[in-house]
Amino acid sequence: MFFEFPFEIPYMLTLLLVVPLVGAIATLAMGGEKQKYAKYVAGVFSAITMILSSILLFTPDLSVYNESYTWIETAGVKMSYILTVDGLSILMVFLTGVLVFLSTVFSARESDRPHYFFALMLAMEVGLMGVYLAGDYFLFYIMWEVTLIPMYFMISWFGGPRRHYAAIKFFIYTHVASLVMLIGIFALVFGAAAGGTADFSFEAVLAGSAAFSSTFQVLVFGLLFFGFAVKMPIVPFHTWLPDAHTEAPTAGSVLLAGVMLKMGSYGIIRVCLEVLPEGAQSWQAAMIFIGILAMIYGAYACIAQKDLKKMVAYSSISHMGMVMIAMGCLSDVGIQFAVFQMFAHGLISAVLFMVCGAAGHNIGTREIPLLGGIAGKLPVFAAFMMFGFMASLGLPGLVGFWAEFGIIFSFYEYAISIDMIWLIALCLISLLLTAGYYLWAMQRSLFGKLTEKIDLSHIHDLSRPEVIGLGAICALVALYGLWPDLALSFIEDYASSLAFTLGVV
Amino acid sequence: MINSSIVTTIFGDFAPMAPMILMIIGALIMPAIFFATKSRAAVTGATLAVIAISLIFNILMMADGYQGGYADLFTYDAFAGVMILLFQIVVLLTAMVSLSSSETTRLHYGAFNSLLLAAATGMMFVATASDLITIFLGVELASITSYVLVAMKRSDPRAAEAALKYVIIGGLSTALTLYGLSMLYGVAGTTNIADIAVALSTQDFSWAFGIAMITMIAGFGFKIAAVPFHMWAPDVYEGAATPVSMFLGTGSKKVGFIALFKIFLVIFVAANASASFATAEMQYVFAIIAAITMTVGNIVAIAQNNIKRMLAYSSIAQAGYILIVMAVMTDYALASGMFHMFTHVFMKGGAFLVVGALITVGIGEKISDYQGLAKRAPFIAFAMMVFLFSLAGIPPLAGFTSKLFLFSSAIYDGGVMTQWIWLAFIAILNSAISLYYYTRVVRAMYVDKGASKEKIKIPAAFTIAIAFCLVFVVILGVYPQLIMDFCADAASALLG
Repeated sequence: MFFEFPFEIPYMLTLLLVVPLVGAIATLAMGGEKQKYAKYVAGVFSAITMILSSILLFTPDLSVYNESYTWIETAGVKMSYILTVDGLSILMVFLTGVLVFLSTVFSARESDRPHYFFALMLAMEVGLMGVYLAGDYFLFYIMWEVTLIPMYFMISWFGGPRRHYAAIKFFIYTHVASLVMLIGIFALVFGAAAGGTADFSFEAVLAGSAAFSSTFQVLVFGLLFFGFAVKMPIVPFHTWLPDAHTEAPTAGSVLLAGVMLKMGSYGIIRVCLEVLPEGAQSWQAAMIFIGILAMIYGAYACIAQKDLKKMVAYSSISHMGMVMIAMGCLSDVGIQFAVFQMFAHGLISAVLFMVCGAAGHNIGTREIPLLGGIAGKLPVFAAFMMFGFMASLGLPGLVGFWAEFGIIFSFYEYAISIDMIWLIALCLISLLLTAGYYLWAMQRSLFGKLTEKIDLSHIHDLSRPEVIGLGAICALVALYGLWPDLALSFIEDYASSLAFTLGVV
Repeated sequence: MINSSIVTTIFGDFAPMAPMILMIIGALIMPAIFFATKSRAAVTGATLAVIAISLIFNILMMADGYQGGYADLFTYDAFAGVMILLFQIVVLLTAMVSLSSSETTRLHYGAFNSLLLAAATGMMFVATASDLITIFLGVELASITSYVLVAMKRSDPRAAEAALKYVIIGGLSTALTLYGLSMLYGVAGTTNIADIAVALSTQDFSWAFGIAMITMIAGFGFKIAAVPFHMWAPDVYEGAATPVSMFLGTGSKKVGFIALFKIFLVIFVAANASASFATAEMQYVFAIIAAITMTVGNIVAIAQNNIKRMLAYSSIAQAGYILIVMAVMTDYALASGMFHMFTHVFMKGGAFLVVGALITVGIGEKISDYQGLAKRAPFIAFAMMVFLFSLAGIPPLAGFTSKLFLFSSAIYDGGVMTQWIWLAFIAILNSAISLYYYTRVVRAMYVDKGASKEKIKIPAAFTIAIAFCLVFVVILGVYPQLIMDFCADAASALLG
């Protein structure tokens, strides 16, 4: 580490929850006359959270920040307030901090009830941080559900024309999935307790997991995997995602794709793989299959999309499929790059959704066939769009390249180990499709003859807050692209110890 | 230092019945106070004062762990204390909002308050009863006064219909219960519950006993509105004045549960009856009733457009959740069930209060009437959202925590997985279904545009009562031990 933060901040992880919570309440209070100050209040609180979360990156020993208090203790069960951060969660926490702040900056022009808008974003940040920091299943589940309600209102208050349908679909879909997950959590906790008080902490469940039988592991893995994977999402259960994205406001989409989808893959690694290694072995082929299906189907569906934002939404499904494949390899490289891809896709999808949002705002339409030759009119917009698309299709030098490179590498190892090397071709097909739809969309919308299908008199290039928000994320995309070890170094130890648990060193 | 010795000093041998005696005195003097003052505020003030004194006495007794009995008919112990507390909270909320509710102020106000206190007294008697006769008397006192409370809203023909249904169904259920109780007496030779348990532990299964069980399940099934004995509940809740609906939905139902706990759990668990007494079969009967009740309640609730009917069906579903206790039959399940009864008071009671407050200011009972409410009455809409999300079991609200305890008691019992995991599964799936209809209301309030934008002014009594419920829905969600510890003591007091 080239720089170490010299102080130890007391209650650091609690602060990561409390600061956005206080911020949400303070922003909410900025109603009426004071509406125009809401964004500054939200900006300050999300900036503090971002700074706190970045300090974690420069802390050599993260375990000093662990917090643990008993919360509820009855005859049968014990729940605790445990916050912890490790190699798996640190990047997600950082990503949450960064994206909430930058999408606040990006949305600075929001004029429709801004105090609600920014308060919802901060409320969502509380839940997201909580999911990544929780060290207790009870707290984890609470935080998991806490993210739902602000997102529901985000879509149904600030969304597009079909927002009611999309919001309720999002809510019911993901809530049902979380209930299945809750059943899985019950099984884990009560199974691990075997005789004593059912302790909901991660640690106690991990300690008790040694006694799980193979059948139990396979069954419970199925329940939990379903709960988490719907959030990622996986292909037969993905239809809520394009709807939610298409209707959600830009900042909502950024958080949804950037951090909320990662809750699913985070849960799979944290719970399914860590606690149920035998279940993971049995489900390995299924995970690979589901991943390949999502990757190719998502890419294929992108080609058919006319709405830029819907295309990006489907590309998220495709890229999360890659995460699934990498996790399914159950190797240290696989897990390391699964997490790296989560981080990379978080940054890149933020760029993409901001670009789509800017298209809607500044041009008035996101329909690809209506656009054309926009680059000449809006050079800054076009530059960001090209940057985002290139990063997403895996241009070397940007962060997406390393993620895809590592995933294909680990998948190659896996394909050799099961003597089915032709599987690798499927990955390549998906990469080709990805390059294809991005380039085709770019060509149709940015270049060629200037469109005559829309009224061009009102279109304008990006405003300053939009440039700052986008620019900062693009800088991170480039930074981690040129120096991936900045992120990979955090995951390395975690991935190899998890691979050891999984029995594939 | 103030402690329960005050109660024993004042009431002497009658100390175990002190909270009820105060309420009965209140019930008797209320009409006189109304006659003398002609002031509704005075009557409500007096009613609240009576309840408050009774509440303070009860809390003193609970805090000291007071135990005592009166003539083998009444026993005050931890269980009685907790349940009396629940009824006192319910009647307190009801009496408070009755002052402002447009539906109750037109009633004969002295009689209304008197009946309310009498009904609460009946409920509290059931909580302390230790004899079949006193249980029956308590249930009847609560029921008969409730019929009148429903019928009092004379201006509305729906109320008359509701009251008639309630009387007929209630009479049938009373007859069934009484029949079961007398069969039980015939089998055991005594009406004292503890003695019955002892007597039965040396007997074999007899048909008379089986008939007693079945008729009592049916009789009390009507009281708790378990499917298939639930038909009356939506009509009665819809027809009655909303504060009364709240009183019935949160208080009256619990009477049936307490009677079930006292008779069935004591016979089957505390007495450790031999296997020949068909404990396993009885558990299955309750498990099946629980599963059907929660499923029917939730599915039918989806189709409702009237909020009071929707809440009635959701009450039926909640009764199904609490019936899990009767299937699992453990200490922990009982404690969780009692805790859920408490959280149910605050979340369902709160929701009914919101409905009542809105009826008072002239907003209808249809879900479509709630459109745009968030703009017109932000606090009320927010409170309603919290109550509904709590009922649906969204963390970190009280409903989530109590359901978590309750469902986990069906999964796990002191180190072993129970056979009731399937019941927990059904309950969790039901929670998912319920979210759908609760969200409809939230959507109407927060998302849909309403016809009017005019601000609504809610009467202060309602605002205070709703805020009270709101605070407890949040507190019991994050700090359940506030009540759960008492419930655990109560469960071990009942089951020994």
